[in-house]
Amino acid sequence: MMTAVMIAIVVLGGSAGDVFITKGMKQTGEISTVHLGKLARVAMRVLRNVNFLIGIFFMACSFFAFLAVLSWADLSFVLPATSLSFVITTIGAKFVLKEEISRLRLAGTLLVCVGVALISLP
Amino acid sequence: MKTAAVLIIAIISQAIGNVYLTKGMKAVKAASIDDALMSTALRAAGSPTVWLGTALLIVFFVLYSAALSWADLSFVLPATAFGYVLNVAAGHYFLNESVSPARWAGSAIITLGVFLVSRSGVRTIPRAELL
Repeated sequence: MMTAVMIAIVVLGGSAGDVFITKGMKQTGEISTVHLGKLARVAMRVLRNVNFLIGIFFMACSFFAFLAVLSWADLSFVLPATSLSFVITTIGAKFVLKEEISRLRLAGTLLVCVGVALISLP
Repeated sequence: MKTAAVLIIAIISQAIGNVYLTKGMKAVKAASIDDALMSTALRAAGSPTVWLGTALLIVFFVLYSAALSWADLSFVLPATAFGYVLNVAAGHYFLNESVSPARWAGSAIITLGVFLVSRSGVRTIPRAELL
């Protein structure tokens, strides 16, 4: 039971983190310069963006939950389970970020999810 | 094109970063006299290999975030999953890890999935929508 809760935190935290980071980066605007001074200013803007920081916070929660669950559960069980995050994040991208998930993209994402689960098995 | 270039460099940094991190942490563990968490952490912090691996993973995260400033999350996330395939290959060739048939099959399925996602366009939302 505790394992299921922790894996849920790993997956949902990671997905929420990705969604917030994307929101923050889209608010910052497209990065289209390789000029170092300009990039430094963009970096400052990103690091002050609330959505980006919330995203980092969720990522950190996910990572620490991952470390915690590994202290009692097998990596070979935890890692394939986290491949679910590809599907959860895509759902978040569709409903929160309003991205269009075409059939092609959905099919590709599902294949990636299955492939990652296979790779993570012992 | 820009997306492809940024993501390819990101994925390669991540794969090499993971190799160095694994090498570094294995060496740290081998050199540890006891299993105390604290002494392992301190040794890791003093290992150049661990720092190099960490730096490469930071490069990955910066490039990943940069790509998200213009590309869809639902494009970037599955596309970067190709990194798993590179990790399997790098583990096999550089760390002498044995790779099971299931892992090679998983790698092939991921590659096919990434190929499909890469044909689905980089961005589907208009520029101003989230501002």
